[in-house]
Amino acid sequence: MEYLSIGFSLLFDPLSLFFLAVIALVSVPSAVYSVGYLRGDCSRKKKIIAWALMAVFVLSMALVVTAGNAFLFLVAWELMSLLSYFLVVFDYKHERSVTAGTIYIVMTHIGTAFITAAFLIIYKYTGSFEFAAFKQACLVMPSNIKNIIFLFLLAGFGTKAGIVPLHIWLPYAHPQAPSHISSIMSGVMIKTAVYGLIRFVISILGVNAVWWGSLVLVLAVVSCLVGVIYAVMASDLKKLLAYSSVENIGIILLGVGASMVFTRMGKPELAVFSLCAGLFHLLSHAVFKGLLFLGAGAVYKATGTRNMEHLGGLIKTMPWTAATFLVGAMAISALPPLSGFVSEWLTLQAFFLGALNTAGSYKIFLSICAAMLALTGGLAASCFVKAFGITFLAAPRSARAAAAKEVSLSMKSALVFMSLLTAAIGLSASYILKILVTVSGCASSIDTAGMDFSLNNFTLAPAGSAAVSAPLIALAVVFVAGTAAALAYFGPLKKRASEGSTWGCGYYDLDARTEYTATAFSKPFRIAFSFFLLPYSKTEKIRESFYHVKSFKYEVFTTPVFRRYIYDPVLKLIIGTARTVRKIQPGSIHVYIAYIFITILALIIFVGRL
Amino acid sequence: MLMNIFLFGILIMAFMMVAAKRVSALIDGFRVQSFFLFMLMFVLAYSADSTELYIVTALLFATKVILIPAMLRRVVKRIKVNEDLGLSVNPTVSIFAAIALAYLAYAFTGMIAGIPAFFVSLSITLIGIFIMIFRMKAIAQIVGLLVMESGVFLTAASISGGMPFIVEIAIFFDVFLAVIILGIFVYKINSLFTHIDIDKLTELKG
Amino acid sequence: MNAALTIIQVLSLIAVAPLVSGIIRKIKNNIRMRKGAGIFQPYYDLAKLFCKEEVVSDRTSWIFRAAPSIALASSVCALLLVPVFAPQAAFSRMGDLLALIFILSLGRFFMALAGLDAGSAFGGMGSSREMFISAFAEPVALLSIFAASFNAGSTDPGAVSAVLGLRLSTMIAAIALIGVAIAETSRIPVDNRETHLELTMIHEAMVLEYSGRSLALVELASHIKQMVFFCLIVSVVIPQGDFALKAAAIIAAIGLIEVSVAKMRLFRAVDFLSLAFVLSAMAVIVSAAGF
Repeated sequence: MEYLSIGFSLLFDPLSLFFLAVIALVSVPSAVYSVGYLRGDCSRKKKIIAWALMAVFVLSMALVVTAGNAFLFLVAWELMSLLSYFLVVFDYKHERSVTAGTIYIVMTHIGTAFITAAFLIIYKYTGSFEFAAFKQACLVMPSNIKNIIFLFLLAGFGTKAGIVPLHIWLPYAHPQAPSHISSIMSGVMIKTAVYGLIRFVISILGVNAVWWGSLVLVLAVVSCLVGVIYAVMASDLKKLLAYSSVENIGIILLGVGASMVFTRMGKPELAVFSLCAGLFHLLSHAVFKGLLFLGAGAVYKATGTRNMEHLGGLIKTMPWTAATFLVGAMAISALPPLSGFVSEWLTLQAFFLGALNTAGSYKIFLSICAAMLALTGGLAASCFVKAFGITFLAAPRSARAAAAKEVSLSMKSALVFMSLLTAAIGLSASYILKILVTVSGCASSIDTAGMDFSLNNFTLAPAGSAAVSAPLIALAVVFVAGTAAALAYFGPLKKRASEGSTWGCGYYDLDARTEYTATAFSKPFRIAFSFFLLPYSKTEKIRESFYHVKSFKYEVFTTPVFRRYIYDPVLKLIIGTARTVRKIQPGSIHVYIAYIFITILALIIFVGRL
Repeated sequence: MLMNIFLFGILIMAFMMVAAKRVSALIDGFRVQSFFLFMLMFVLAYSADSTELYIVTALLFATKVILIPAMLRRVVKRIKVNEDLGLSVNPTVSIFAAIALAYLAYAFTGMIAGIPAFFVSLSITLIGIFIMIFRMKAIAQIVGLLVMESGVFLTAASISGGMPFIVEIAIFFDVFLAVIILGIFVYKINSLFTHIDIDKLTELKG
Repeated sequence: MNAALTIIQVLSLIAVAPLVSGIIRKIKNNIRMRKGAGIFQPYYDLAKLFCKEEVVSDRTSWIFRAAPSIALASSVCALLLVPVFAPQAAFSRMGDLLALIFILSLGRFFMALAGLDAGSAFGGMGSSREMFISAFAEPVALLSIFAASFNAGSTDPGAVSAVLGLRLSTMIAAIALIGVAIAETSRIPVDNRETHLELTMIHEAMVLEYSGRSLALVELASHIKQMVFFCLIVSVVIPQGDFALKAAAIIAAIGLIEVSVAKMRLFRAVDFLSLAFVLSAMAVIVSAAGF
C-alpha cells in the first residue's frame, strides 16, 4: 500500500489529552465497579471476556481521540462501535438486548458511513490522510464542498452523539448494557463524537459560515428539550438516564455551537469562552452521568429491577448508594456548588455575553437559546427529583425493594470516588477553566495567551464584573444551614421530636400503595407536553355488577413519535423497495444465465459500436 | 485452406447441436465438433511445429473427443434419463437464433481483425451460452459449458497463438474436473428429485 | 466594611420578611371586608411553631430532617446576592443574578425531595406540581434577568442596580418577574397558600408533613424567598425611583391580584407562565431594539 501512505501516527495536543483525561476519569472507576457488579452474575469465563472486551473498548476510545490520521481514526472508530455492540448484547439471552444491539449497530454504521464519505471527499483534495494535510487542504477547498462535508460530519458524529433525531439507539442500548458499560458509553463514548465534531469541524475544517453554528445550536436546543421531556416520562431508571444523556449532549453542543457562531463573527474571546463552557459541561457530565449509571447499576444489582414503580425506601437499606446518587442527581440538576452548576452557569454566561455583544436577530436567538437551556434545567431538576425520590425515598413499593442490601465495597468505592470527583470539579472550577482555555485555544487555533476567565483561584469571572464562586456558595450554604440546624435542633433549646406515621387523612395502616408513583409524578408534564408526546391510555374494567367494579386496569403510553413518524416510514420504504427489486430473482438458473448472456451481448453491441 | 474447412465444420456442428432434439444427439454433436477442433489444432501445431502445441492437441483429443463424451454417456445411461432434451424453443427458432448470434459475432469481429477463426470462436461461445439458457435438462448445461470453453480456447488460439502452456494445461484439468463434478451433481439431482429438469429447481432466490 | 453592611442588610431583611407577608394578608383581608389577623401574625406563628413538639413520620429519612435547613440556607444565600441598601461589592464574588436562580433551585430541590420522603400522596403531588411550575418559571426569570442585564453590560447585581434611567425593556421585564414571583411564592392565581384541600395545594402539599421547628424554618424560608423576589424587582430590575414607593406598589399589586382573580387549574398555570414568557421575550426584543 505504498501509494496510499497510511501511517500509524498519534497526535497528542491539548484537545486529545483533555479527552484522554475524561476517558480515564470515567473508565477506571467503572472498571473497579465491575468487579463487584459481575460477581455472582456470570461464570468466570464470561467475566474474563467481559473484562477483556472492556479493556480493548477503552483502548479503542483512547485511540480515537489520539489518532493522527483519518484512516487510523476510522479504524479506531469502527473498533469502538463493534466492541460496544458486543458489550451491549453481552446478556444475549434477553431478547431486548439483542434488539437494542441491532438498532445500535445499524445506526452507528450509518453514522460511520457519513463520516467516511466526508473523509474521502477531503482526501480527494489532499492525497494523504494525515490531519495536518487535511488542514492544509481545507484552506483551499471551495465553499460549497465545505458545506457538504460539514453536513456529513454533523450527521455522522451526530448519530454517535445522540442528537435528535438520530438519538433513537440511545434509549435502547444504554439501558440494556451492563451498568459499568452504560456508564462508560454514556460518559465517554458519546463524548468522542463531540471530540470528532470539535476536531474536524472547528479545528480542521474551519468554520465557514455562521449558519453552521446556528444549525448546531438549533439541533442542540431540540435535543435538550426532547431528551429531557422523554426523560421525565421514563419509569425505567436507566432509560431515564439515557434520555438525560441526550439532553446533556444538547447542552454540550450549545456551547460548541455558540463557539462556532462566535468564531465566524470575529469574536475570539467569546468563541474560546463558549468552547470552554461546552468542554466543562462535557467533563462534568461524563463524571456525574457515569456516577448515576453506576448508582442505577447498584440499585439493579441489589433489587433485580430497574423499574422505579417497584422501588422505594432504598435510602435506609443502601445509604451509600443513595448518598452518591443524590450527589449525582444534584449535579445534573445544576445545583450549587457541584460541577453541573458551574458548567450551566458558564454556558448561560456565554450566551449572555454573546447576546450582549451581538446585535439584532442574533441577540434574540441567543437569548431564546439561553431561555430554552433554563427550561431544560428546570425540567431536568424535576426529572431527577423523581428519579431519586421515587427510587430511594419513602417506603419500598415491592418485596424486592424491601429486601435490598447495600452493595459491595468495590462498587461503593467507585461510587464514592465519582461523587467526590463531581464535588471537586465544581469546587476547583477555576483551575479547570484555566486548563480548558488552553484546550479551546488549541482546538480553535486562537491565541489564548492573554485570556483569563477567572479572578482568582476560587472565582470565575468571564468578562465584566459578573462572577461566581462555587466554594464561596458552598461555604455560605453550609454555614447558614448549620447555624439554622444548630439553633433549631441542637443546643440548649433543643426539643425532642416524636415519631408518628405519615398523615393519611385519618386512615390507619397505610401501605406503600398510597405513595406517589413515577408515572403520577410525571403526569403534569405529560399533559403540558401532550402535543408532542401524544399520550394515550388503555383501560380495562371488569365488573361484577353495574355498580361494583371488580378490577380496573389502566395503562398509559406515550407515542414514540420519532419511531412512528420518521423511522418507520423510512424502514417501510427500504423494505418495500427491496421487495420490488427481489422480483428479478425468480430462482430459475436459466434466467440467471440469460442475464449474463444479455450483458455479454450488450457489451458486444455497444463496444462494437464505439 | 484446410483450416477454413475445419472452422466451417466446427461452426456447422454448433448449429447441429442447437438443433438437436435428443440428448445423445447433443453429445455426439459435441464429439464431432471437438474432433474438428482437434484436427484444426493439429494442423496449427504442424505448421508451427511446436511441441507444446502438439501436447495441447493430444490433450484436447484425449479429453474432449474421448473421455468427456464417454463420461457424459455413462452419466446419461446411469440415470436413465429421458432422451428428450427439454427444449424450450423449438429447433427451427433455435437455428434462426444461432444464425443471428453468428451474424452478431461477425459484425463484431469483422471490425477488429480479418481472422475467420476469431469469428467462429466468438459465435461458438455465444451459441454455447444459448444452449445453456434454453435447454432444460442438466446435461445440456454441461455441454453448453463445454462448448463455451471450446470457444474461449479457440479465441485464444486464433488471436495469440495459444495461451501460455501452463494455462492451457490448467484449463484442461479444470474442464475435466468440472465435468466430473457436474456429472456427480446431475446424478445426485436425479436421485433426489427423480428428474434433471433445471426449470423445476427454483430455490435460488433472496 | 462592605461585608458588615451587607450582613446587616441581610439580617434586617430577614427580620422584615414575615412582616411583608403579614402586610399582604392584611391588604387582602381589608379588600375582602374582613378584619383578619394583624400584620405581625406571621411572627406569632413562627414563635408558636418554634415551641411546638415536632412529629416526624417513620417513613422518612435524613433528607426530611435536613431539607428545612437547606431551604432556609438557599433563601438566605439568595438574599445575600441582592443589593438593597448596601452596595453589592462584598458578596459579588459569590455569585451573580444567574447564580441566584440556581441557588433558589437548591432549596426547591430538597423541599421536593422532602415532600416525596414522607411517602404520602399529598407530598408526592405537591412535589410534582411544584417542580412542574418552577420548571416553566425558570426561562421567564432568565429572560427578564437578561433584559435587565443588557442595560448594565453584565449580570452582576450591583452593576444592574446601578443603571440610571428607566427603560421600557426593564419595565416589561419587571412585569414578567411579577408573574414569576407569583408562581414561586405560591400566590393566587398559581397556588393558594391558605388552603389545605389536596386538589388545590401545591406548596402547602409539599410541606404538609412538617410540624414544629422544621415547619417554622420552612415558613421562614418561604418568607425570605418572597423577599428575594420583591427585592429583585424593586432594587435590581427597576433600581430607579424611591424604594419605599416601589415596595408599597409591589405589595399592593400582589395583594390586589390575589384578591381579584381566581386560582387557576394547575395546567392553566402553564398558560399563565407562557404569557409571562412572552412578556419577557418582548423585553429582550425591545432591549435589542434599543429601548
